[in-house]
Amino acid sequence: MHELHHPPTPVYWGMTAQELTQDVVQRHASPGRQFWAIAGVLAGLFALGVIGFILLLTQHGVDNRREWGYFATAFAYIFVTAQSAVLVSVALRMAKAHWRRPLARISEMFAAVGLFNFLLLIPLLWVLPPTDGRRSIWFDWPGRSPHLWDTIAMGTLVVLGLAILYFASIPDRAAVRDQAGSEPSTKWRGNVQQWIVLNRGLAVLGGFYFMLLIVVHMLISVDFAMSLIPGWKDSIFPAFHALNGLQSGVALILVTMFILRQTTGLRKYLEVDQFWGLSKLLLAISLLWFYFWWSGFFVYWYGRTPAEQGVLRYIMFETYWVPFFLAFVMCFALPFFILMWNIVRKTTWGPALAGAIVLVGTFFNVLRYYVPAFAVEELSLHSLEHIPTANLPSFIDILVVIGALSGAVLTYMLAARVFPIMSMWELREGQILQRVRKLMKIEVKVLAKPE
Amino acid sequence: MQERVKLTDAQINKDLLRSMEENPLWYWLLVGALGLAVLVAFAAVAYMFNRGLGVTGLNRPVMWGFFITNFVFWIGISHAGVMLSAILRLVQAEWRRPATRAAEVLTVFSLMTAMTMPLIHAGRPWRVMYWVFPLDWARGVYPNVRSALVWDPSAVFTYLTSSILFVFIALIPDIAVARDRTTGWKHVLYSVLALGWRGSVRQWKLQLIAGILLSAVILPIFVSVHSIVSWDFAAAVSVEGWHSTVFAPYFVIGAVHSGVSAVVTVMIILRSMFKWQDYIRLEHLDALAKLLIVVATTWFFFFVLEFLFGLYSLEGPEIRLREMQVFEMPWAAFFVAFLVCSYFIPVPMWLFRSVRRSIPLMIFTTVLVNVGMWLERFIIIVPGLARKQGLTFTWGGYTPSAVEIIIVFATFCMVSMLVLLFAKVFPLIPIGDAKEGVVLEDEIKIGKVKVPAIMRED
Repeated sequence: MHELHHPPTPVYWGMTAQELTQDVVQRHASPGRQFWAIAGVLAGLFALGVIGFILLLTQHGVDNRREWGYFATAFAYIFVTAQSAVLVSVALRMAKAHWRRPLARISEMFAAVGLFNFLLLIPLLWVLPPTDGRRSIWFDWPGRSPHLWDTIAMGTLVVLGLAILYFASIPDRAAVRDQAGSEPSTKWRGNVQQWIVLNRGLAVLGGFYFMLLIVVHMLISVDFAMSLIPGWKDSIFPAFHALNGLQSGVALILVTMFILRQTTGLRKYLEVDQFWGLSKLLLAISLLWFYFWWSGFFVYWYGRTPAEQGVLRYIMFETYWVPFFLAFVMCFALPFFILMWNIVRKTTWGPALAGAIVLVGTFFNVLRYYVPAFAVEELSLHSLEHIPTANLPSFIDILVVIGALSGAVLTYMLAARVFPIMSMWELREGQILQRVRKLMKIEVKVLAKPE
Repeated sequence: MQERVKLTDAQINKDLLRSMEENPLWYWLLVGALGLAVLVAFAAVAYMFNRGLGVTGLNRPVMWGFFITNFVFWIGISHAGVMLSAILRLVQAEWRRPATRAAEVLTVFSLMTAMTMPLIHAGRPWRVMYWVFPLDWARGVYPNVRSALVWDPSAVFTYLTSSILFVFIALIPDIAVARDRTTGWKHVLYSVLALGWRGSVRQWKLQLIAGILLSAVILPIFVSVHSIVSWDFAAAVSVEGWHSTVFAPYFVIGAVHSGVSAVVTVMIILRSMFKWQDYIRLEHLDALAKLLIVVATTWFFFFVLEFLFGLYSLEGPEIRLREMQVFEMPWAAFFVAFLVCSYFIPVPMWLFRSVRRSIPLMIFTTVLVNVGMWLERFIIIVPGLARKQGLTFTWGGYTPSAVEIIIVFATFCMVSMLVLLFAKVFPLIPIGDAKEGVVLEDEIKIGKVKVPAIMRED
């Protein structure tokens, strides 16, 4: 057993069902001026992004692929971070981790950002070249396969994510309606049958989301990055891309929780327990990040074929060495050195800091794949004959990236106006399924594990 | 979790020391039969050393066959120990308790067995001494430290050493229980091995810290071992199907798949042999099967990546190899059998609770997984080498000889025999862990229902 100490009892355990509901509903009803001020600023930045997008489209058209590298980076970054963040709630629910309860809705609400992400995919479908005469995972399928199937896969993923958010929030939205004194919900009554359907439905949706997310990671990473660089044949890359997604998804929730704690007074729900739990996950995934990266790099480095050397020079050691170096430091080295200390993991600021660093590192990691991939002109070769020069961001690129990121955050904030940010029913379930008891001289948590 | 039985400390001691204290006839008959098979294999090895590798089915260009396949397979099985023990200990999974010792012991014995395979395969194993004593340096013949074949023994020996340490540290409290219940030379032996264990708070604390530290330290070793085995293949560009970046995690997760399945098989056999129904309960098999669903599906995803990106290159030799694996007999039969056995039969079955809690079906599915996983290694290693190339003198095929079949079969007997002999000397379910589990079990009353619960310190 570890150092014996009294486990801190979460504050919300002491609240009655009514107090809990009232508190969450009240916060949901009146977000405050600060909320709308931030939303206004984000809307302004998003508008600048729209202007950037129009300039990009009118000045370069869709045939000049190189100019769309940063737009693709913004799209991929939002996909990697936000859509994977939904998975955190899904996975922790599957693992029956009680500490997930306060962060469940925070995670699921990133499904709304998926909708925005889908909009960003649409222009890229015109930029993405057909697969004729080049390597791709679609082999002899009709030349427009990636466009069609990627759209279907991404669209299904977004719908699944929204379905999870919608179903998981049914009891809470009913509670909000009831509290507001409006017409009570006619469909949700909270009977046993409904609860069984809800729980099983969430389990099934979660399972499908999990599998489809991995598939979409594979499609996006190969169709929009790997297959656009001649000579890049890297079987671990889709898995690495997905792992980076899971890592940044956890990081995103850590940062979101920290911001919510500081700005919205949700401290009584978002306690050290949640940061501690996610920080252990982030540490493990950061180590896996290194392992996956090393496995890919090592085989490439050892192979020494001209095709492999060309790819290494292009996206790692020469042209894009700066984003590669930053990604390596921020996705692995720094989070590892911050999170290896339990004393830091057991704070709110430590995991949030590591999370923020990972989010920046992930941006560079995504950038060093998508910007170079969009900058290659001759796609039918089997290796890079000439290493293209670096594509540095223009003013338009900066506008587009800032606008896209602002749009994503704004979407999340607007979703928070529709769905209560705390999953009340899961918190309440947590109150019922957890106790504090005495074991000899100390107090311990007792966690029920229903079948 | 409904099958829990409240057990006293005395009852736990009595039950879990049964394998050491009782001497049923069937036990010795079984050990004798397994020992006989191992002796036959010794004779086969001696015959092979005397006559040379010509008595095997190895022939240019297929110089890696059953022995190397079996080496990779046993290295894979060894991954169960750390997966279950270290990871589940770190994440405080309660259901790990009855499985950890069997898994750790399986790790140690399968590693030892795995190590014999390259030695036998070498044909002249005494030459390995050149690695230890640099006799040939004068002639400029010494191991190339940049070779994956040198990293292999380094990684495997490190893993073996740390696994033995891992088993021993966890065993100390149980050895002390055995010490207190024996007399004569056994008492002396256990006293020495117990290192003066008295069960004081300080000793428990030190033992716990050592366990956690070893768990954390052994994890990178665990990952490195099978990664390095995979790089024996992936570092080579000359054989189609091997030079793949996903090989390391693909091998590691495949090893966990086969290793955890093997642990389930062993646990079920031990459960019926030593009447440990109260300790290895259906809920434990249920939890392990759920874990296996996740592990197997991840493994299958990596398999898809490996296969898909083999074709992705659109290079003739690579596509020819895949055609050979999938459409040409006998490889096609092995390929289908490997996929069906290791994924398409067991995983859909495990989705049903009734299967996860059925002893016969669980033993069937977990044995099936290991049949499939053995074939997987065979399909990775041999067809790539057997593919016909331009030079006709390298058109040899591969059919395993009786010598190889006997030796490979005997490795299964050897591991089984060693586990049974271990059970005679040490308890195969950790007694201290079982007792701690009983203390930490609890219930929470919700309405009229009592829900099983566990106590947890942060």
